[in-house]
Amino acid sequence: MKRRGTIAILALFGQWPLPIHGQATVEGQVALPKTHPALVANERYEIVSEAGILKTDPPRAVVYLEGHFPAPKNLSTRQITQKDLTFRPNLLPIQRGTRVEFPNEDETYHNIFSYSPAKRFDLGRYPPEESPTPSVVFDHVGLVTLRCDIHEHMRALVLVLDTPYFTISDWQGNYRLPNLPAGRFVLKAWVSSKVTLGHPVELTSGEVRHVNLP
Amino acid sequence: MTSVAERSLAGIRRFRTRLFLAMMVVIVVLMSAGIYFVQRRAEADARVDFQGDFALELAAFARLQDLRNSAVEDRSRTLARNPRIHAALEDNALDLLYPSARDELRDVMAESNPGGAATAGLHAIFYRFLDKHGAVLPPTSPDAGALRPEEEAQLAQKGVPQTMQTGYLTRHGPDGDLIVDEMIAVPIHSTETNEVIAALVLGLKPVETIGHGGTSGMKSGILVNGHLTLPSFDRAAEKQIAHEVMTDLARSPKHQPTLRVKIAGAPHFLFYKRLNPESNYAPAYEVCVYPLSKLAARQRHLRIQILGAGGVLLLGGFLVSHALAWRLARPVEELAVVSEENLAQRQRAEAELQTTTEELQRTARFSADASHQLKSPITVLRAGLDSLLARDGFPREVYEEISELIHQTFRLTSVVEDLLLLSRMDAGKLRLSLKSVDLTHLVEEWIDDLRALPEGANLRVETDLPASLEIAGEAKFTALIVQNLLDNARKYNHPGGIIRVKARADKGQVELRVANTGRGIPPEAQPYIFERFHRGTVHLDVPGHGLGLNLARELARLHGGELRLLRSDQQWTEFSVLFLKAPPMPHSAMAKS
Repeated sequence: MKRRGTIAILALFGQWPLPIHGQATVEGQVALPKTHPALVANERYEIVSEAGILKTDPPRAVVYLEGHFPAPKNLSTRQITQKDLTFRPNLLPIQRGTRVEFPNEDETYHNIFSYSPAKRFDLGRYPPEESPTPSVVFDHVGLVTLRCDIHEHMRALVLVLDTPYFTISDWQGNYRLPNLPAGRFVLKAWVSSKVTLGHPVELTSGEVRHVNLP
Repeated sequence: MTSVAERSLAGIRRFRTRLFLAMMVVIVVLMSAGIYFVQRRAEADARVDFQGDFALELAAFARLQDLRNSAVEDRSRTLARNPRIHAALEDNALDLLYPSARDELRDVMAESNPGGAATAGLHAIFYRFLDKHGAVLPPTSPDAGALRPEEEAQLAQKGVPQTMQTGYLTRHGPDGDLIVDEMIAVPIHSTETNEVIAALVLGLKPVETIGHGGTSGMKSGILVNGHLTLPSFDRAAEKQIAHEVMTDLARSPKHQPTLRVKIAGAPHFLFYKRLNPESNYAPAYEVCVYPLSKLAARQRHLRIQILGAGGVLLLGGFLVSHALAWRLARPVEELAVVSEENLAQRQRAEAELQTTTEELQRTARFSADASHQLKSPITVLRAGLDSLLARDGFPREVYEEISELIHQTFRLTSVVEDLLLLSRMDAGKLRLSLKSVDLTHLVEEWIDDLRALPEGANLRVETDLPASLEIAGEAKFTALIVQNLLDNARKYNHPGGIIRVKARADKGQVELRVANTGRGIPPEAQPYIFERFHRGTVHLDVPGHGLGLNLARELARLHGGELRLLRSDQQWTEFSVLFLKAPPMPHSAMAKS
């Protein structure tokens, strides 16, 4: 519950700085892939988990509005925390140019790296309470897979978007994208690294549009 | 006689030889069968033993391989989970794949391990990644271990393997030798979708357990892609064994294939088993070769034992056959000896009989001839003398001499007649016509005649005779016997002597005893008195020609009786003659033939 709350707050943060042009809202449901039991056996690490099995979060979708928007200014820094040998959150949509900090709240070293073409980096090993908090600015659009070199099961996705209008669905795929400008756009839903759904929309001010994807 | 003995001895020898040969044949057949079956059994046992060995070795091999594989698998899985390798594969960063793997696999690679030789089985000599289509992702770093393109091609699969796969790779070493390496392909699962997105192939030295230890002298190698590496054999032998296995594989799939092959002229057992069942890689076989020299030694040992036993059996058989033959032959030998003796006796008797017969015939012929030739001149002589005696004018002494000569002719005639009679008897030509003859009458007649003789007055005749005593005889010849005995009693008596004549019938026989006083027959002459022309030397003054007793005995025997001398000393000389009583019916008797 705490995690969900955090995510909800983060999602709200994502919407906060957006200029309010119209007040269009898109809501609906994204068909999520069935959850696969990506169970990771607790063999090497003393992971706090249920019955020795670390459960990954069920998939969720990132729904965003694709269009041409002005370059953002004063983008706030986001955080992906490493706690209990997991990334929290494990799926983070951000606008291009956002700095993401990676605080280590575990009592062990972590080594975050990415081989993803959108952002290759390697923060190296660092202990908890490393100061300053290691951070990376994601300046290319694309999906960045974060991994920990020490803890193979740790995996998080940072979806770098070129839009300020995006949200993350709940576990059922329900989403709500408010405060959208009027105009012609493409509503997209990122479901997985291989699947991104799209639906053109023409929004009018004050409208609440219901779009189910696909 | 010798030939008979030799024949029987040879027969016994033959019997013994045959018996021995038969036993030998039986023993040899038994021995051969024994050797055959024992050898077959030994081979079957050896086969089973070797198969057991092979199974054990294979089991040990499989256990070690499993241990090694699970260790390698564990290692590979860890590698396959490696975040950087995953990142390189999943995040479209293949350029970073081998560099990332290099660090992770450094401790796995044999070269980097100083003690690599000792733990060679656990250390890789190369590694490669397969993409999701099973193709080899070319390495960007030399640390992945050098492979020639054609060798690398053996790593590829049709589609990425979904499970761990074991394969064997043939490649050529620096000196051209064929090297077989083992490769283990471990699938790499996507962390996102859990699908197999790639595979890590680790090249390792094959587990070597077989062929190093064990007392069986077993050698083992791996057959893959038609190539066999069997380090202790030369190229040609390797090729031959590979060919044998391939041929057998092509023939029929068997559960536990066993072949018997000749390698470099020496027999071997050959077992093989697939090492990587259910693998997408080319089938590889563990091939084990067992030299049968041990089996041959065992068979030789058994053969020697059997031959030894057979030899003892043969010797025993020889002794037994000998003993048996001896036991069986003894009665035969005894029989042969007895029959030989019998034969010898018979032959001797026959020879003697022949001689006697010839002598008898000669004598008889001589007697007959002599009698005949003598009778006529005597008659002529007597006639001449008679006519001389009848003539007048001679002085008285001449007449006396002529008269004496005539008397001598009568004696001569008597001798000749005796001889004639004897010769007839000898020739078996004298037949007696047996009738009833009164013995008493014959004796009395002779006594009457005695009275007529001049010396008769000086002799006293005592008789003890029944009134009539009928015997079986022919009067003429019976009278001759009686006359002979009584004449002897008279002739060899002394003046005033006694002649005692007794006769007695007893059962079927009649005995006549004639005894006389006078000088007896000397004891040394007694055995010969019945021989022809024998006369006691002391009685030269007594007329006679030495045929009388012989003739009398022969005639007595013809009568079915016998003539014997009972006693002869200074007082008495007594003869006994036996006759048969007269039968109720007259019958005839043949002279001896």
